[in-house]
Amino acid sequence: MDGWLEPLLVPFMMRAMIAGAVVGGLCAMIGVFVVQRGLSFIGDGLAHAAFGGIALGLLLGVSLERMTWVALPFTVLIALGIGYVLRRGSLRGDVATGVFSAVSFALGVLLLGLRSTDGPQVNVETVLFGSILAISPDDLITVSVVGVVTTLLMAFTWTKLAYATFDPELAALSGVKVAALDYMLLALTAVVIVVAVKTVGIALVSSFVVIPAATAKMVGRSIGRVALLAVAIGVVGSSIGLMLSYYADVASGATIILTLGGMFGLALLFKKK
Amino acid sequence: MSAVHAEADGIPQGHFTLPDPSLTRVLEVENLIVDVPGRRLLDGISFWVPKGEFVCLCGPNGAGKSTFLKTVLGLMPPTSGSIRILGKPAQKALRDVGYVPQRKTSDMTFPARSIDLIVASMRGSWPLRIREEERARAIEILRHVGGEKLLEKEIARLSGGETQRVFLARALVNKPSLVILDEPTAGVDVKGRAEFLDLLAEISASDELAAILVTHNLAAVARCAERVVYLDAGRVSAWGLPGELLGQASLSAISAVAGGDHAAHSHHHKLPDEE
Repeated sequence: MDGWLEPLLVPFMMRAMIAGAVVGGLCAMIGVFVVQRGLSFIGDGLAHAAFGGIALGLLLGVSLERMTWVALPFTVLIALGIGYVLRRGSLRGDVATGVFSAVSFALGVLLLGLRSTDGPQVNVETVLFGSILAISPDDLITVSVVGVVTTLLMAFTWTKLAYATFDPELAALSGVKVAALDYMLLALTAVVIVVAVKTVGIALVSSFVVIPAATAKMVGRSIGRVALLAVAIGVVGSSIGLMLSYYADVASGATIILTLGGMFGLALLFKKK
Repeated sequence: MSAVHAEADGIPQGHFTLPDPSLTRVLEVENLIVDVPGRRLLDGISFWVPKGEFVCLCGPNGAGKSTFLKTVLGLMPPTSGSIRILGKPAQKALRDVGYVPQRKTSDMTFPARSIDLIVASMRGSWPLRIREEERARAIEILRHVGGEKLLEKEIARLSGGETQRVFLARALVNKPSLVILDEPTAGVDVKGRAEFLDLLAEISASDELAAILVTHNLAAVARCAERVVYLDAGRVSAWGLPGELLGQASLSAISAVAGGDHAAHSHHHKLPDEE
């Protein structure tokens, strides 16, 4: 293999490409429902909540490589908490997300300060902006497992989830278990966000959720097509961005997001009338 | 139809003409109480709707109309009392109920066409692909409500009147025995409202389909109602023929709630058609 695909011969680039494509596709798939429900801010909120989980793991002496397993349950709990507040109907989604994420992030900062100075060193920049090029074979297995489980759950519940997104009352009348689906979507969002944090970091992960879905929504005329298009944009945008970052020798996470932003701009120009 | 003077619990005393008790009861509500922490929303509601009857459910804001609908539809649990649809507990008979919600409850930016909404109602889940027989049924029901040309139209591009036409089609597509309409013309322009009232009048003329229309619109009451149930402070304060209630002082409050200056003294008088 030669020419512009040459980077794929490099093992770390191959792993980054696979992880980026899977995470890009997963975030986009979840993002279709998150964006349609007006919860775009939740990606950012849960990423900040994940920081609390990461800090908790560090306090417990867990290495940064295995931090996902502490951040996952922590972030899922925060997501379910947001869901509970939303279902009580007393607060809007952005308010609930804002409160939970701010509290979790503050907790993270507090816990980081409490940990022993003898513990493993943490590069905060890596946590904030991700390190897709440092994806290990173990990380790739985690991403793949999360990818398969999330895809299967979404596939089995897709038609019900779409109905509940359009109108929860009408869906409930048709026998759809709306509350269970709401909690499942939030929990899956948390899981995917935690995995994605490893690739593009806390600061940029919400773009992975929002941009492909928002781009596809401008072009697609049915929820099925919007979902397929969003996943394609997530996968292709991630791959192109990674290649561009390799050749330009610039930050990969940021380049991926800028590529997705470029696709959004194009869709804006050519969106359906 | 026979004149029956109510005596049962929760049924208002007075000279109102109630439905013939021997008719098949599509909806029967008995002493329905709904409490939320610190408040009683429905305080012993009892009435029934016979087959084919068009009932307008009226009352001031906060009277309990929405709570009543949500409880009938199983979206809110009753504290006590019973709701039966065609003799079965309401929760087990929801397939016999069609529902037209207020326009504001659905996400009209959702990427979908009218046919998707109708087929979703048929299946109980959102369609990815639509089968030929489903398309034929969707066309048939849209034709029934005068909206055949809306089949492939994106829902985001439907006018207010068209939206309610499509929602009526999705409510009727499973051939329900009872259709519940929650202020369906609120926020719809004058032309769309008049056209929708024509449709409701057709339903009212049906001997098969029973309907409950929640409305503040006295024109709708005068045009469609075969009977009126008036809720006030969580209780049925009047239940009778439109002519018997339209002269009641309490019912005149509906037009006041609707923002009109017109008090209804009789259904022979000119009625406000603005909501």
